[in-house]
Amino acid sequence: MTLRIGVDTGGTFTDLCAFDEATGQVHVRKVSSTPDDPGRAIVLGIKELLEQMGGRSIGEVSYLAHGTTVGTNALLTGRGVRTGLITTKGFRDLLELGRGRRPHLYDLQADKPEPLVPRDLRLEVTERVRHDGRIETPLDHEEVRSAVRELKAKKVESIAVCLLYSYLRPDHERQIGEIIAEEFPEAYVSLSSDVMPEFREYERLSTVVTNAYIGPVVANYLSRLRQRLAENGLTCTPHVTQSNGGIIPFPAAESMPVRLVLSGPSTGVVGAAAITSEAGSPNIITFDMGGTSSDVSLVQDGEPKVTAGMELDGRPIRSPMLDIHTVGAGGGSIAWIDSGNHLKVGPASAGAFPGPACYGNGQDATVTDANVVLQVLNPEYLLDGQLKIDAQASHRAVKAIADPLGLTVPEAAQGIIRVVTANMARAIRVISVQRGYDPRDYVLVPFGGAGPLHASRLAIELGITRIIVPETPGAQSALGLLMTDIRSDFMRTQITRVTAQEAAHSAEDLSKVFAELTDHALAWFEEEGIEPERRSIQRRLEMRYAGQNYELPVDVPEGPITAESITALIEGFQHAHDRMYGYSARDEVAEAVTFRVQAIADVPRAAISRAAAEGRKVEDAVVGLREVYLAEEGDYVSCPVYDRRLLDVGHHIVGPAVIEQMDTTTLLLSSDVCTVDDTRNLVIDIRRTPNE
Amino acid sequence: MNKPLDSVLVEVIGSALATIVEEMGGTLVRAAYSTNIKERRDCTASLFDAKGQGIAQDEGGSPLHLGSLMGIVDGILSRYPLEEIKEGDTFIGNDPFSGGGSHLPDIVLATPIFIGGELTAWAANLAHHADFGDRGHAHIFQEGLRIPPVRLIRQGVLQQEMLNLILLNCQVPHERQADLRAQQAANRLAVQRYKDLCERYGREVMVQAADELLDYTERRTRAAIAAMPDGDYSFRDKFDCPELDDELELQVRITVDGDTIAFDFAGNPPQVRASVNVVWTALYASVYYSLKSLIDADIVPNAGLYRPVRIEAPTGSIINCQEPAAVNGRSETCQRIVDLIHGALATAVPERVTAASNGANTGVHFSGRNSRTGREFVYLETIGGGCGARATKDGLDGVQVHMTNTSNLPVESLEAEYPLVIEAYELIQDSGGGGRHRGGLGIRRAVRVEDPDIHFWLDTSRQKSQPWGLDGGQPGESARAVLSEGARPIDHGYTVLQAGDCVAIETAGAGGYGSPELRPTGEVARDLAEGKISEDYARTVYPQQFAQLSPQK
Repeated sequence: MTLRIGVDTGGTFTDLCAFDEATGQVHVRKVSSTPDDPGRAIVLGIKELLEQMGGRSIGEVSYLAHGTTVGTNALLTGRGVRTGLITTKGFRDLLELGRGRRPHLYDLQADKPEPLVPRDLRLEVTERVRHDGRIETPLDHEEVRSAVRELKAKKVESIAVCLLYSYLRPDHERQIGEIIAEEFPEAYVSLSSDVMPEFREYERLSTVVTNAYIGPVVANYLSRLRQRLAENGLTCTPHVTQSNGGIIPFPAAESMPVRLVLSGPSTGVVGAAAITSEAGSPNIITFDMGGTSSDVSLVQDGEPKVTAGMELDGRPIRSPMLDIHTVGAGGGSIAWIDSGNHLKVGPASAGAFPGPACYGNGQDATVTDANVVLQVLNPEYLLDGQLKIDAQASHRAVKAIADPLGLTVPEAAQGIIRVVTANMARAIRVISVQRGYDPRDYVLVPFGGAGPLHASRLAIELGITRIIVPETPGAQSALGLLMTDIRSDFMRTQITRVTAQEAAHSAEDLSKVFAELTDHALAWFEEEGIEPERRSIQRRLEMRYAGQNYELPVDVPEGPITAESITALIEGFQHAHDRMYGYSARDEVAEAVTFRVQAIADVPRAAISRAAAEGRKVEDAVVGLREVYLAEEGDYVSCPVYDRRLLDVGHHIVGPAVIEQMDTTTLLLSSDVCTVDDTRNLVIDIRRTPNE
Repeated sequence: MNKPLDSVLVEVIGSALATIVEEMGGTLVRAAYSTNIKERRDCTASLFDAKGQGIAQDEGGSPLHLGSLMGIVDGILSRYPLEEIKEGDTFIGNDPFSGGGSHLPDIVLATPIFIGGELTAWAANLAHHADFGDRGHAHIFQEGLRIPPVRLIRQGVLQQEMLNLILLNCQVPHERQADLRAQQAANRLAVQRYKDLCERYGREVMVQAADELLDYTERRTRAAIAAMPDGDYSFRDKFDCPELDDELELQVRITVDGDTIAFDFAGNPPQVRASVNVVWTALYASVYYSLKSLIDADIVPNAGLYRPVRIEAPTGSIINCQEPAAVNGRSETCQRIVDLIHGALATAVPERVTAASNGANTGVHFSGRNSRTGREFVYLETIGGGCGARATKDGLDGVQVHMTNTSNLPVESLEAEYPLVIEAYELIQDSGGGGRHRGGLGIRRAVRVEDPDIHFWLDTSRQKSQPWGLDGGQPGESARAVLSEGARPIDHGYTVLQAGDCVAIETAGAGGYGSPELRPTGEVARDLAEGKISEDYARTVYPQQFAQLSPQK
């Protein structure tokens, strides 16, 4: 009776997935996005999806989760609201000064990001807290009151408040919050001690200002969408994905929009983690390749790796998020030749318009055009015939690159693939090798429209020997929404020595902070109405040697913190340090810096059905033969083309081959052997490295 | 001669080498203890080939560090026979006159990388150790411990006696030891990563790819120089620093000829008894930075860039100094070498140059005893300032310019570590030179000390002159330091501060570009609204625009 729906809004398409708990079946729908009003495509898509499922009613939907880029887009396009800032006297320019570095070491024409709050809306108030939490100068309430009135008169919609040391002593920020509530109750207010109570004033400031700037946009969007869905008959509370991969109800998300910046990409990772864990491969590297960029991340033991922040468009954002690294390498990335006669690809992209040359509007050779020339992609049409391909246009575009390099057209096309593969490999090294993980120990999981096309070569570049292509790579994020938990993060910075000599003392200090955070988490469970049996709590400590300023995360096991667990924590930290930097300094004192508690509410997730073989023959899935250029063979090679819909559990394909489905194409090189597993994933094993 | 590699493979390997130096830099910052490295990123990582030619440099670092790194491999190779350099060795050095660095705080660690028993490449990184505080700068023997290239690690064994000698000469030995550990970690990682690449591509291919990357950079550099109009270009400018009573005159003459370029520094003053002398490596780094930023910001920074460039500077002059010149404040002079080159080439490539930037690498050094810890401390911060206006845009306000690109130290980190309080950190109104495009604003950073007898040293420039504008643009404001009442005045850059004293450093703004008459009224209005200029300033510099705005007021 219950239906669960996931909706992921992307730049070009809105993907929808439904899971029918009664039949265990997953249904997928893709509609064009409506960027001017993203909710329109969502409502339309839901109707079409329900129609496709045989005319089900929206009232049957028990769960709806959404991945959105509304906040991120508002930030990237400068369409947030007019925002004011109240800060400590002497520091209003910090937002512009940042960390003092110029945006590019050598490019004298590069500019800093435009501050989200202009200088005349950044007001200072007299107050000062010190590094030990002591109040040196009390807050001047009258000054605050007149600052709020000034901002109101200057017609801001939103106010960010960021004072020095508020992560230690939030009193003054809270008092300012109260004064704003009295003087200007309709303003959207963000206090840095609520949004991101962490040390380093600029990063905290940038985060709270971003939150304030996009806050009203996100809040409006979510509340309107909620209303619209209700008007169309939805009875359950819709949820939205946060950057940490967990979902929260719409109303809760409205006050912390900055935690949604990776809403879209993170759900794909969660979905991939769930699917491959089920398939027995909990250690994966995800590779989500779309039109303009690729997102990569690492999943260890079924848990995506997390990080505490990122930089978006030159602005730091601190928030719990999945460790997703983005590189400007997508199907639309443009190939070009630099002044030293080297072939480069991206980061410029032909985007949705004009798009690759083969779509008929553009002139530039893109990665997609290279794939058309090589005939890896269907040279006549894509998307089940919805998109006509002009192979001649691709040929012309690639020839313009080939001629100056003295290469043949297929060689140049292959060169484009190699360069873009190297760019993607570099991104994967950032989230694996640079974090102390060897990519050869992981399975590569490609998705997005272009992931499965490039996965095999990328795997070879990284020494990876297994690839798993999920059943619906093009709608992975929407599917991920059906597989994620409700979760919320609570954190506090409190620098605390952790020593074996004073283990009992350390245990007491740590227990105290964790107890407070756990209380917050329990209160949140209550607010959300999560029953006790669905609750779980994860604790993590960020530690460093006293003297360092960068921390490494160490998991804190369940149960009371004792002298013994202190020894284990120190050991865990030494081990993490050794893994990351190749040494540990046992003569040095370790300290805990940030305490993190994650509250997780288990939701019934879409279970992946284990399909039984239907007894079809693999030969029957071959829908044609195509001459595909394989650099590894140095020529065009005749390859069978399979229709993925006709593939069945247990089918076995030896490369080279091409597997087509509605929104993606998988290339098998001659070194690849592919099996369809019992959850309908393509499991590709690379037997040997082909000669290149 | 091997057959050339295909250019795509060279590109792929170049990208892998760039990843290594980036990762080295990240490791160093994250594992270090001292604020100057962990927060301010005053460090740079690089890879050299077996002969000591730079093949990759971390762009997270500072261009001036190239100078500090440039001499190290040569310095080692000239001191030690090749057969004595063994796998597992790591050399340490900091002495500008024996190939270690460009001033003593920059300590370089260099590790040879052996593949199949053969020396194939070098991993090297430099970190600016904020130590050697409260020393003199009349000659280099006053400036700190001089370390010629010597082994810190011999075939995997730490030379504890060497380390003990170094640490005894430092005011904050515990930080030094931890930072040196982080530096070792960075090199160890680079060795491992380079070996992995050799395993994948083979040693021969790696070596050949590095050679071809140098050729590639050379090709791009030559193409970009060839695009500049041939000719002779020259420029002169005044130079001052707190240690010197008089201003000096610096100059350059540049000749662009086809795809080569020559920089002639004849006529510059002799070296001085102050910290602002420049050794040749730092001069070269300044010239290479200027060239790269003016011709093609995307050229891979490696030694191929140097090939079409000739540099001449009189031996014993302030920009090519000899032992025993003091060099600690060489970055002040290096910043001005960049300004000179921009000034000279303003007629050749007007769309690429900037007007004069703040012209300094303003360093504030505090040292003394921290009553909270009972230990000695040395706090160094360099403060940015205005960046010169560009042909089509305003200059950046309050940034690190040209030869440096360190981060500031967060107040919340600074105050927790040192007996200091930051009272203000802000842009200075009216400090940018007016023009069609306005020069960037300088920075005011006010520091109050909380302990007695804190030694303070300021190294800066542009206190006596102003950063010039271009094409009718006006000069930016000069730099200055303002002490609270009753504090002992700064004498030749030095003073001793007492608890409660406050010193406010105001760095220079930058020059404007184009006549102020041409600045659109809307841009004047915006600067006024934002308080980046005052009404008085607008009335004086932009009288017509101001008149248009006034009726609305």
